[in-house]
Amino acid sequence: MRKTAKRNPGRQEPTAGTQLGTNLRRASPFLTVFVLLLLWQWVSAREIISHILVPPPAEVYRAFIKAMAAGTLPKHALVTLEEMLYGLLIGLGIGLVIGYAIAKAPLLENILSPVIVGFQSTPIVAYAPLLVIWFGSGLASKVVTTAVIVFFPMLVNTIVGIRSVSPKLRDLLRSLKAGRWQTFRHLEIPSALPVVLAGLKTSATLAVIGAVVGEFVSQGSGLGFLVTSARNLYDTPLVFVAVLTMTAISLTLYGLVAYVEWRFLFWQRRSNR
Amino acid sequence: MLNPFRWLILVTLTFALPTVAQNETVDERILLTFIPNVQFAPFYVGIEEGYFADVGFTVTLEHLQEPEVLDLVAVGQANYGVVSGEQVILARARGRDVVYVFEWFQQYPVGLVFGGETDLSELKDLQGMTVGIPGRFGASYSGLTTLLGSAGLAESDIDLREIGFNAPEVFCLGVVDAAIVYVNNEPLQIQNLASAGDCGDVDNVDVISVASRVDLVSNGLIVSRARLDEDPDAVERIVNGLTKALQAVIDNPAAAYLASLEYVDGLPADPSLMRELQRSASQQEEFLASKPDREAIARSRLQLAADLAEGFDQASLTQFHVLLNTIDLWDAERLGYSELESWQAMSDTLLTMGFLGEDAGDLGAAFTNRFITGNEA
Amino acid sequence: MRLSLRELSISFPNPVGDMLPALGPISFDVAEEEFVCVVGPTGCGKSSLIRALAGLLRPTAGSARYGDETIDNPMDRFAIMFQDASLMPWRTVLDNIALPLEIAGLPRDLRYDRVRALLSQLHLEQFERAYPAELSGGMAQRVALGRVIVQQPRVLLLDEPFGALDALTREKLSLELLRLRQRYMQTIVMVTHDISEAVFLADRVIVLSRRPGRLVADIAVDLTRPRAPDLIYEKPFLQLTRRVRAEIEDLGT
Repeated sequence: MRKTAKRNPGRQEPTAGTQLGTNLRRASPFLTVFVLLLLWQWVSAREIISHILVPPPAEVYRAFIKAMAAGTLPKHALVTLEEMLYGLLIGLGIGLVIGYAIAKAPLLENILSPVIVGFQSTPIVAYAPLLVIWFGSGLASKVVTTAVIVFFPMLVNTIVGIRSVSPKLRDLLRSLKAGRWQTFRHLEIPSALPVVLAGLKTSATLAVIGAVVGEFVSQGSGLGFLVTSARNLYDTPLVFVAVLTMTAISLTLYGLVAYVEWRFLFWQRRSNR
Repeated sequence: MLNPFRWLILVTLTFALPTVAQNETVDERILLTFIPNVQFAPFYVGIEEGYFADVGFTVTLEHLQEPEVLDLVAVGQANYGVVSGEQVILARARGRDVVYVFEWFQQYPVGLVFGGETDLSELKDLQGMTVGIPGRFGASYSGLTTLLGSAGLAESDIDLREIGFNAPEVFCLGVVDAAIVYVNNEPLQIQNLASAGDCGDVDNVDVISVASRVDLVSNGLIVSRARLDEDPDAVERIVNGLTKALQAVIDNPAAAYLASLEYVDGLPADPSLMRELQRSASQQEEFLASKPDREAIARSRLQLAADLAEGFDQASLTQFHVLLNTIDLWDAERLGYSELESWQAMSDTLLTMGFLGEDAGDLGAAFTNRFITGNEA
Repeated sequence: MRLSLRELSISFPNPVGDMLPALGPISFDVAEEEFVCVVGPTGCGKSSLIRALAGLLRPTAGSARYGDETIDNPMDRFAIMFQDASLMPWRTVLDNIALPLEIAGLPRDLRYDRVRALLSQLHLEQFERAYPAELSGGMAQRVALGRVIVQQPRVLLLDEPFGALDALTREKLSLELLRLRQRYMQTIVMVTHDISEAVFLADRVIVLSRRPGRLVADIAVDLTRPRAPDLIYEKPFLQLTRRVRAEIEDLGT
């Protein structure tokens, strides 16, 4: 596909200068992380902030190795990951279905929006304890907190995505006597995909918040619990390890969606050239 | 340009300032845990009745989680905090050099509650029973571990269930045979439910407190080592203020309850109860003027409880009873005095639970009695 | 089969709910294989006319018929083309043109064969695998034209198909349209605002009034086919364009 594209007269090959720029742009997130690490090392080496509050990177690394060797970190991370994935699946599923229904039937929006907006504008941290009472202190309550938090971006972006379908293309498909399913498959899905994937990016990063909020409320296991228990034992390096693991999980999910985006929305990229 | 007259004013002011400052108080924060509650009455009384002002401080209170209280004191962002002794041992093992200068709770507040019919004349009989606990953390868990240890049992000998802070409901549903609770609070609530016939076939409840078996160090006032070295005089003054406030609560609980109203939302206070408490508070003042001894004061508290029970229902008195029960955990011959043995016992418990890696270090450095009234060496 | 419009009118509700007339009532016929151009001032309801013929818009009153069938839904073997190419940006040129065949349920090999046969006629064989974002405006419109032709329609409805293109490209595409028509002999109704384009392409030019558009002139273009580009410099052509222009200018401003 790329080979034929290269032959197109309309396309410009990147020059040496822009190639350097592209490489720099790709490397810049890593540079940012590197600079932050340096800053962290410098701050803790000078003890600008007490080690009690910000332990040096080396100590956090030791805590990481220890928690990996003891199996505590993988154990808790897997628990959180499981909660997140189930929550994501459920929240995304419901968001997509309701979002599609609302986009197609504006009346439904009038009926549902008070509930949905109310749900969204109430901070989940405030009613998470209720969810734990209703759904128990096990996996279910955390799956629910995650599902609730990832649902909204999915819903909104699905609505926006479906509504942004070009009316001309709708006319075209009607004139071709396309059925409901054909319109969905050939027009609505690909049209809405960029916006829906943008929503998925947001949802993916929110998922970890949902899971951890649930874990904070009900003790037991997961990275949120690891933070609490490490805090209670005054093990600040382990708190850092748990928090950074959450960040890593979040970033990985984000990266995964970004990859899917890159893979499926290549046609968008071309228009930028 | 300054004219001679202005010079005069300036010089006068410069000399006058220190004398002004001496009469003024210094702002000071005390970090507490949990939420505003009648159990923090000594601090409310200390502020309201001027015990802190008398020693030169305008005190404000803040409520945080225990680890946050400890770390903020450890790094010097706050001078004083109130945490449990177990936190002091754990935090000191992790490089937080804080010192416990006043043992507020003389008795460890945790205990085991069970129905009157359950045969627990020997703690050993707990073997095989189902026991509820808020979670495997904090004072409840330390208390349970200590109790089990004192009976030669281990956690594996019982069926331990994590039930959150819902002991009254869970216990009365019959899910657990016994529950680890705060002895000044939940037994009262369970007894209320039982008296109303809402607690299954349980009519009356019994409690085995941890304190009755082992002396464990409990909640007290901490400062950082740096602060202590820098200004021991200030620490001593705060301790003195707190001692007087605590004594005032022990001596006159009705007045303490009234002083707490402003700090604790939802504290029952209908006008008739308020009037009765005000009457009782001033009556107690007169009684105290006759310099009664500790025992006589304790009897006066029992009498007060009995008098109130005649005029008011259980529900509106629960929080007052919590205060009276808690006073029993505070009252001592020498307020604030801490025993090395109680620290040793707590550190043994923490080792049993696996919360302490190796040993607890020098426990003697974790606390000092040097500011305790009657202990000035 | 004839396309016939009888007292057809179209109105749209405004935000308050009143019906505002946009077109008609209008009546005219288009004979089988006839090429009719509709010209008129902006907003005279030309697009509504095309959409009504395509079965995408129900007339408020009157009717449009094809043979003896009333057009109230999209008809078989009718194809529509818009001013903008309206391609699917996620499909290649090949797949965009093949879309109607895919919707019709043709197997992949078959539809690709048919599209490839068409690509060379449209001078698009180099761009089979290109995406719309990589195409120029004229090229994109060629693809849209291909998507219409591939349906082998009997009736072609064109809504200002070359309106967004520069003059040179427009001329090239006009000639191509004529060439394709010569080959397939469809009935064509085309809306345009370009008078010489209308005269150059059509058998008849229909002039609409200001909103709501009514028929003010129906001018037969009796120029021989096939028509060469040089035609536009010849007297009969110029006379015809002048007549159409006069009709439009008579509408006032």
